Amino acid sequence: MSVKIYEKVDKLPTGGLTVRALKTLDTFVPGQWENLVGFDNTIKTVTRETDEAMVQAIGERAITLFNDKSEGYRRALWLYESVDSASGLLGTAAIANRIGQDTFLGFLKNITPKPEKAQTIDLSVKLVTEVVAFCHINGIPGDSLGDFLAALGDYGSESLMRMAALVSFDGVIPLGADFSSKALKAIKNMGADELEKNKTFRGVRKEIPGKDAKGKLSFITESFESTQGWMDRFVSDKGITQHGLVDKLAGFMEGSKSKLDYLGAFLDVSVKYYEHTGVQTLARRLIERAVAEL
Amino acid sequence: MTTPRWLRRLFPLLLVCLLTVTACSSAPSKYDQVQQETTGSNAPAAVEKGAQKGGTFNQFFPASEGEFKVVPSQEKQGFAEYKLKRDGETLAMLTINDTISLPAAAKKYETAADTLSGFPLVEQGSTATGLLVNGRYQVKVLSRSDGFTGSDRLTWLEKFDLEGLSGLEANTRAYRRVQKKNAAKAAKAAKQPKTAIPQPTPESAPPSLVPQPAG
Repeated sequence: MSVKIYEKVDKLPTGGLTVRALKTLDTFVPGQWENLVGFDNTIKTVTRETDEAMVQAIGERAITLFNDKSEGYRRALWLYESVDSASGLLGTAAIANRIGQDTFLGFLKNITPKPEKAQTIDLSVKLVTEVVAFCHINGIPGDSLGDFLAALGDYGSESLMRMAALVSFDGVIPLGADFSSKALKAIKNMGADELEKNKTFRGVRKEIPGKDAKGKLSFITESFESTQGWMDRFVSDKGITQHGLVDKLAGFMEGSKSKLDYLGAFLDVSVKYYEHTGVQTLARRLIERAVAEL
Repeated sequence: MTTPRWLRRLFPLLLVCLLTVTACSSAPSKYDQVQQETTGSNAPAAVEKGAQKGGTFNQFFPASEGEFKVVPSQEKQGFAEYKLKRDGETLAMLTINDTISLPAAAKKYETAADTLSGFPLVEQGSTATGLLVNGRYQVKVLSRSDGFTGSDRLTWLEKFDLEGLSGLEANTRAYRRVQKKNAAKAAKAAKQPKTAIPQPTPESAPPSLVPQPAG
């Protein structure tokens, strides 16, 4: 059965772990994100339109655009959903690895990646997924690379929150303040076959540019290199620290303070922030286009 | 493998439960009809093949000036969008789209009472103002901030290179093909008995079909 974008937006949760975890980041990006749920509500908020017939017309055009596979919106949704569910599996693997270190299940260490390496790949693949999803949703706006980078850098609302969550939950918490150089070093030393084994990568592999795993790895590395500066600036400008994040999250995840690898894995499994904010971004962009085209 | 008799007896009951749950889980929506019409193998394309590339429109957008920044936002087939920003705040969206895929969008300009630089001008609701170039290319400014008024929208509409855009051919072969196809579709629809196609009431008719001259 076909995906119904209006149902997806209507069914976005207003509470639960994902929303609570995202709200802990509000202090770093104050006022940027409100948890916008409901299809008509999103139309009214984004366009400031109140006329019900106009809202209906905007909704119908947005749905038509979404349902046309050649428009790329469905692929973007697939990416946001897949990278979350694949990284959830990674979280399970990370937990298994932790158990492996603590208990007699030592052999698990040999078949599951070390948490740090797993988190490194997870962070890199999620970042690349964002770039690819951005292109599916927005095309390549502008006439030059500078225009494109300006569009990519002009993140706001739920897109900025997604990036804040990526940097915090998949970067700073599991890898520390120097997460970006750590991750870049790791992917530069990684072989294509190692990437192929990674579940997060395998979840979205077909959408990452590059003719084979080697080509895809080099695309991932280049994307990471070009956004590293942005991520580092974001962390220092916003004053994001591992300690500060853990303090905030400890509020609803008891006992997480001293077990950072558990916390990272727990966030992986339980917090679907890519899917949640991805659906919100998709709805916003569809609606913006629909209201302009009518 | 054989199914135990008790399980076989339970099957009809399970089936009823399943159907009940499935039926209840998806409440009807006012968007179900459009969903049905736009999915499946015979669904019409959202954007006509002959629509101009979004990138063609980039050259006609206003440039950043002073404290106002014009930032590229979306570029898809038949559509380009920029954000107008000041101090990080989005004041408005600036867009150009090809109405080849949405004839109703162009039709609303037929009865426009006002013009801007010679192009028909329409105010849509309280947050958008648009004009139509060459009967095909729609240029719009949509407010995203309370302080960005109707007169601001007019000011920024004038900053587009409208003359340049009017040099973009509208009556292309693809355009004529789509016009012909739409005319044939309309003639076919007119022949159908009225009960076959529910006619929208004036209240539910899409406002895009109703010309709204600028005030």
